[in-house]
Amino acid sequence: MSAMDVASSSPSMGLFKSLRLAFTFATREMRAGVRGFMIFLACLSLGVAAIAGVNALSASLVNSISSEGQSILGGDIRFSLIHRETTELEQAYLNKLGPVTVAATMRSMARLPDGSDQALTELKGVDENYPLYGEMKLVNKGDIHDLLKEQDKGTFGGVVELGFLARLNLEVGGLIDLGGIKVKIMDVIENEPDRLAGGVGFGPRLMISNEAIRASGLVQPGSLVRWHYKVKLQDGVSNDDIQAVREAAETEMPKAGWRIRARDNASPGLSRNIQRFAQFLTLVGLTALVVGGVGVANAVTAYLDSKREVIATFKSIGAIGSFVFFVYVIQIMMIATIAVAIGLALGAFIPSIAAYFLQGALPIEIDTKIPARSLALAAVYGYLMALVFALWPLSKARDIPPTALFRDREGTSKLPRLPYLLALVGCVALLFTLAIGLSDNRVIATAFVGGTVAAFALLRVTAIGIMALAKKLPHARSTEWRLAIGNIHRPGSITQSVVLSLGLGLSLLVTIALIDGNLRNQLTSSLADEAPSFFFVDIQNHEIETFEALLEDNTQEATLQRVPMLRGFFVDIAGQKPSEMTVNSESAWALRGDRGITYSATIPENSVLDEGEWWDADHTDGSLVSFDEEVARHFGLEIGDTITVNVLGREIVSTVASTRKVEWQSLGINFVMVFSPNTFAGAPHSHLATLALKDGGSVEKEFELMKTVANAFPTVTTVRVKDALERVADVVGQLAWAIRGASGVTLLSSILVLAGALAAGHRTQIYDAVVLKTLGATRGQLMKAYLLQFTLLGLITAVFGILSGTLASWFVVENIMDGDFTFYPSAAFSAAAIALFLCIALGFAGTWRILGQKAAPLLRNA
Amino acid sequence: MSDQPSVLNNSIIDLENVHLSLGQGAARVHILKGVSVAIERGEAVGLVGPSGSGKSTLLMVMSGLERADSGNVSIVDHDLMALSEDDLARFRGRHVGIVFQSFHLIANMTALENVAVPLELAGVANAFARAEEELKSVGLGDRLSHYPGELSGGEQQRVAIARALVAQPDLLIADEPTGNLDEDTGEDISNLLFKLQKERDMTLLLVTHDLKLAGRCDRAIEIRNGEIRGEDGENTLLNRVVKSASAAE
Repeated sequence: MSAMDVASSSPSMGLFKSLRLAFTFATREMRAGVRGFMIFLACLSLGVAAIAGVNALSASLVNSISSEGQSILGGDIRFSLIHRETTELEQAYLNKLGPVTVAATMRSMARLPDGSDQALTELKGVDENYPLYGEMKLVNKGDIHDLLKEQDKGTFGGVVELGFLARLNLEVGGLIDLGGIKVKIMDVIENEPDRLAGGVGFGPRLMISNEAIRASGLVQPGSLVRWHYKVKLQDGVSNDDIQAVREAAETEMPKAGWRIRARDNASPGLSRNIQRFAQFLTLVGLTALVVGGVGVANAVTAYLDSKREVIATFKSIGAIGSFVFFVYVIQIMMIATIAVAIGLALGAFIPSIAAYFLQGALPIEIDTKIPARSLALAAVYGYLMALVFALWPLSKARDIPPTALFRDREGTSKLPRLPYLLALVGCVALLFTLAIGLSDNRVIATAFVGGTVAAFALLRVTAIGIMALAKKLPHARSTEWRLAIGNIHRPGSITQSVVLSLGLGLSLLVTIALIDGNLRNQLTSSLADEAPSFFFVDIQNHEIETFEALLEDNTQEATLQRVPMLRGFFVDIAGQKPSEMTVNSESAWALRGDRGITYSATIPENSVLDEGEWWDADHTDGSLVSFDEEVARHFGLEIGDTITVNVLGREIVSTVASTRKVEWQSLGINFVMVFSPNTFAGAPHSHLATLALKDGGSVEKEFELMKTVANAFPTVTTVRVKDALERVADVVGQLAWAIRGASGVTLLSSILVLAGALAAGHRTQIYDAVVLKTLGATRGQLMKAYLLQFTLLGLITAVFGILSGTLASWFVVENIMDGDFTFYPSAAFSAAAIALFLCIALGFAGTWRILGQKAAPLLRNA
Repeated sequence: MSDQPSVLNNSIIDLENVHLSLGQGAARVHILKGVSVAIERGEAVGLVGPSGSGKSTLLMVMSGLERADSGNVSIVDHDLMALSEDDLARFRGRHVGIVFQSFHLIANMTALENVAVPLELAGVANAFARAEEELKSVGLGDRLSHYPGELSGGEQQRVAIARALVAQPDLLIADEPTGNLDEDTGEDISNLLFKLQKERDMTLLLVTHDLKLAGRCDRAIEIRNGEIRGEDGENTLLNRVVKSASAAE
């Protein structure tokens, strides 16, 4: 052995053997347990749990929607038509496929017979085959088809959601007017199996028979009614078979213009929104991991610091630097594995907990199977984050010299070696790529990642700045101030950890609070001036004059805007099929489902011409269309391109003549596509109108007007904008709770890291306090000094948090939400006050311990 | 003390004009000032000097723990100045055993595991069998699975000696090996060290304040203020003092 040459000893142990030995050493080192890693474990497992939980719940919901697709859709395949029912030929074609149930859906006004009140309702007509799948549950357990029959001449039975009764102060057995018929409320809906496929409604459900809908007079040419034909295919039919049926229907009935949806994609909008929201919450969860990462880095640094002697000993008896690195990276990854496992276990429970709470709120059984992919993603994020934050201290530990056995602070302050720096950069890049690559909206994800990195960098610079400034300050006269300022800048001070952990958490808190405030503001108060008070839908051609006269008689100085409206969907966009196009997510909505379209001789209000030319009022030579500028850009449309839309079963080819910049926030009547008037000459259609009352009008005035319109025009649907926005605000409010929940995890991580950093700082402070007490410092002096230190740090961090949170929320509101940013001092300052309180409270909690420390034992051991 | 190298044919340690400074800027201190020293194979040499004289630094240079700023450092026929950090670590693992005043055992490893570490690092297959033999040779055959915290100071130093010797190094360096022990235990440890050195015909370099302990070596070298003041087995003042201290005991 002694004769062995050094050079030849290097390859004597291959990489695998070396790693195995490093693993053995690591397990021996881990015998002491995970003491000192509690903050590490808590931070990492919290972040992983948040990401795993959000993604597991999202996957569970999407799986549930998919696995219960038949009952959500109400059939194996659904054919939908807007404005019209099937022709005999089309109906015969559908009947050949299997049993069919027909449902009509539209929005309408239900009125009390005495005309005293009315309510917007999501009306649904069903036939005797309904439902083909799932079970229609009624509170009084009656038979739906018996209940929906015509009860008396002109009076049909109907069932409603509970909210309907509450809204009109009715009871079962009560009567309402609907269009030209009366509806007797027969029962209350407990579960409507295919409710989810219809999307979010603006009013409670009223279900009647198709005969009743037809008799109501609500269905007029151009009315906004959708007819859904749900087909039950033979038992055991596969999704591929359904796809074949779908393709055959498209080929054999190319002119039908029906939208076809299969059971495996029963509620695409809902699934998409769940996934998109989960992606957003994942980003918030990642912030929790980043904040927790500071705790990870602190814990790893402290651990490796305690292992300096062991590392130096290893090196003095023959261990090389990379071997030492492996021994400790394996240990850190072992602890990370425990944290990830705890996080995954917590996250995996979330779908079950959610299933319990969402019971009844959703008409589906939530799949509580553990979705492996979601957990795997959270685990990858957890490991990557642990590596990102541990690699720096680990790679520096690799260079602890054996002479550290003799000298306390042998310099290891230089940068890590290049391969380790590259590994660190690689991990960071992988983390960012994952976060951005897996997001539906890469602009938001990139902004989020960029913002987090910027906040991180700025906080570091701020912390260094605070320390430098504290060092440069002239000596304070007061001992307490001198001590406090000294504690802020001296080597090993807690300033960096405190500023980083508290600053990141606080920045997020301020950002969320300000975005929340701005969102609510946009949905409510900012409406007053220009937004309309009402939308009136389905005004028939023959009603226009009397309708406008009625409004004029009943309002003063109100602004009425009216446009013709039809519904249509894209068949072709500049030679591309919409289903095969990939467009920017901000405009993807315009491709889905059917779109409201209009025609106009002049440029509509709330929009200005961007490119191209507006057509002459008497243009007759071919159909022209004007597009919203942003949508056209995302579709890749140029002036002169052609598009084909299906309207009322007719395919219309139009040439893009111009693009417009549309002011969508105006809440006025805005359309992506405006056609030249000749396009729809003679086509049956209804009108859409908005009415803006002077100064926004009063609630009494609005209700009075609704009553008047509902009584005079029973088939016209009135949507009160404030009701609709309240409905949206409710949904946003519910989502905000989820965001607050995820942000709460970040704040908790922040507190944990802060507590950890303060605890680490206390170990040094205990020694200082004992020495100072020995030299004559009183408890009061020490307490004042520590209070000053924590207040100064908390204040500076709070200022940073307000600034960075305001900047981030400004960016989101102005650039992503396209809104006008408003600063809410109360939201920002409350968040800052929380930070200050936390810093002082946590700092002080430890200080009590310090002040009670007996001097003798510590000095004896020192 | 001459700055000229004393080159011996059988030298295991051969230092020529070694300089070393430590610290940064104004705090930089010139610690070793042109040290030249040669030690033969099989010799037991005591390195003595007051605190701050540079003896621990010299020990670190000789064991490849510290790199000299200039001069030649040849240990066991290896030019340490030419070796990289990792090669120096491997070199120590193969050729140098070090016993520290504070033992520096790994707290979470048993006595057996502590002793096996150098062999494991060198990729030796039967590391644990050899570690067990070595522990028996220092009288700790019944303490194999004890952790350092469960051993007395003397036992811990025996484990450290076993760990230093297990790879059968050419050179054993002991830095104040009895400094943290009571007198009786210190006596036992020094007896053990000299016994094993003789049995294995190793070179022993003993850094100590204890002139009596230095007196048991074949010769002693005195270092003061970073320079060698006495360095041979002949009739220097140092050796007379050392021998008389030894004889007085």
